[in-house]
Amino acid sequence: MKYETVIGLEVHVELATKSKIFCSCSAHSYGADPNSHVCPACCGMPGMLPVVNKRVVDYGMKAGMMLNCHINRTTTFDKKSYYYPDLPAAYQTTQWFAPVAVNGLVEIETSKGKKSVRIKQIHMEEDAGKLVHDIREDTTHVDFNRTSVPLIEIVSQPDLSSAEEVEAYLDRLKNLLRFAKVAECEMAHGTMRCDVNLSVRPEGSDKLGVRTEMKNMNSIEAIKRAIEYETARHIDALEHNTEVLVQETRRWDDIKGKSFAMRSKETAGDYRYFPDPNVMPVVIDDEWFDAIQSSLPEFPEVKRERYINEIGLSEYDADQLVKSIAICECFEDAYAVCGSAKDSANWLLSECMNILNARQMTYDMLDIDGKALGKLIKLVSDGKVGRANGKKILADMFDNRDIEPESYAKENGYIVSNDTSLIEKVAKEAIASNPRAVNDFKSGKEKAIMALFGACMKQLKGNCDPNTLKEILVDQINKI
Amino acid sequence: MDKETLRRLELLNQLRLTEEEKASFMKFFDERYEDACSLDSIDTSAVERMVHVMPVMTVVREDVVKQNFAREDLQKSAPETDEGYWCVPRVVE
Repeated sequence: MKYETVIGLEVHVELATKSKIFCSCSAHSYGADPNSHVCPACCGMPGMLPVVNKRVVDYGMKAGMMLNCHINRTTTFDKKSYYYPDLPAAYQTTQWFAPVAVNGLVEIETSKGKKSVRIKQIHMEEDAGKLVHDIREDTTHVDFNRTSVPLIEIVSQPDLSSAEEVEAYLDRLKNLLRFAKVAECEMAHGTMRCDVNLSVRPEGSDKLGVRTEMKNMNSIEAIKRAIEYETARHIDALEHNTEVLVQETRRWDDIKGKSFAMRSKETAGDYRYFPDPNVMPVVIDDEWFDAIQSSLPEFPEVKRERYINEIGLSEYDADQLVKSIAICECFEDAYAVCGSAKDSANWLLSECMNILNARQMTYDMLDIDGKALGKLIKLVSDGKVGRANGKKILADMFDNRDIEPESYAKENGYIVSNDTSLIEKVAKEAIASNPRAVNDFKSGKEKAIMALFGACMKQLKGNCDPNTLKEILVDQINKI
Repeated sequence: MDKETLRRLELLNQLRLTEEEKASFMKFFDERYEDACSLDSIDTSAVERMVHVMPVMTVVREDVVKQNFAREDLQKSAPETDEGYWCVPRVVE
């Protein structure tokens, strides 16, 4: 029998706010001393009242708009009962009855074509703290620095059916949320986390099979492996009765390549959600709603079309650029300064990418001044700086955002020399010390001139217009 | 209310009830359930969902970081701390 996999995702995204969701403690405590970013509110001290961070609602709304959701203009917070020491109040403040955004739609593209994935809801909530088990054998150590850091949870409908679709969906979420600048979405940093709800059913059946939820995948690769493993486990159970499938939460062990049962039967009822009496409803009036709507960025596909139709980029270049908002912004700044879209795209997609790759950085980590890049591109295209030296300047710009390319080129001797007498002198020396290349060139091997060309460029430290040098070399050889 | 549901509630609330308490809770929940069921007789299809009993809305604060509390003060009432952490009974095997 043929089977199909049915997958729904719960994606937690840490919002890029400065402070926590319900108190003024810093939301950024990576590497900080334990419990150094805490207060009575996020420590769950009795009697403390939460005060909602406006920017969390801004970002929640913005995320909802990016994913084509309906925004609930009155959105409320609820308590989710939860007994575990990483949340000291014994409940998590989250949204259940009226989440900030509902009924969205996200379009993804895979090798099988385009597909729409429905978003059930996006809710705002607080993160839990961190538990450390390896300091002492008899206790668990608790660090509340991460407690109350704002998250949104994006819950999809079970519309995905393969690891490839899941990857495309996560990439799409990441892209849209980064365009809106509401979150970093970096799985390796824990700012995007994903739980996979998966079941398997005979192909064509409209009845869902037994669903398991998988946690603890720390990369897209791990998610893909977990989906493949879990699908095979479900099919095996159905085909060969190897085990009885039960609705449960499972933990993925990426080293063992297996999933293990975690908690038994978990339903919404277990959490006994109830309206949080400490947080009044958040009412989003027209002014607030309109302000967020007008702050939405140009969507990646709109940008793509503009790049192709108005600026004249190739489809390939446009596709590559819109993968990252950091790249797009740098491109637009560079283009505005140098006036060449093609050159700007080339420098970003080849030279900048090479540097990023060599430094094991992602697209979104690009942090150079686009306007400065535009100036550099212009210096090179005007022949004022050689391409090789231009690349050197670019590499230095990755280390120092303040570099002004023209003055930097002057200070470091990267300006192309127009001194033809110097070029002629260097050419003469190169010709004198490479008689074989000269003879080869004279006997018709045109490529032989490159040896002379290279020797001259080395001598001139790249500061020479290549066409001028070539002309001088040919001229001098012909005189011999 | 059956015994299984009560056992589940005990578990969820981290409680251990005596037989006497169990009998009293069963009676209590049965009565409350009956009260709640009486609401089913009212047609609420045309009524908008009430978000709060009062027409109130929350105040919001700007996204500004303030660190007003020292860890030492917050941990004064803790039964046990170690290297800046709160200590709790071990929760994993």
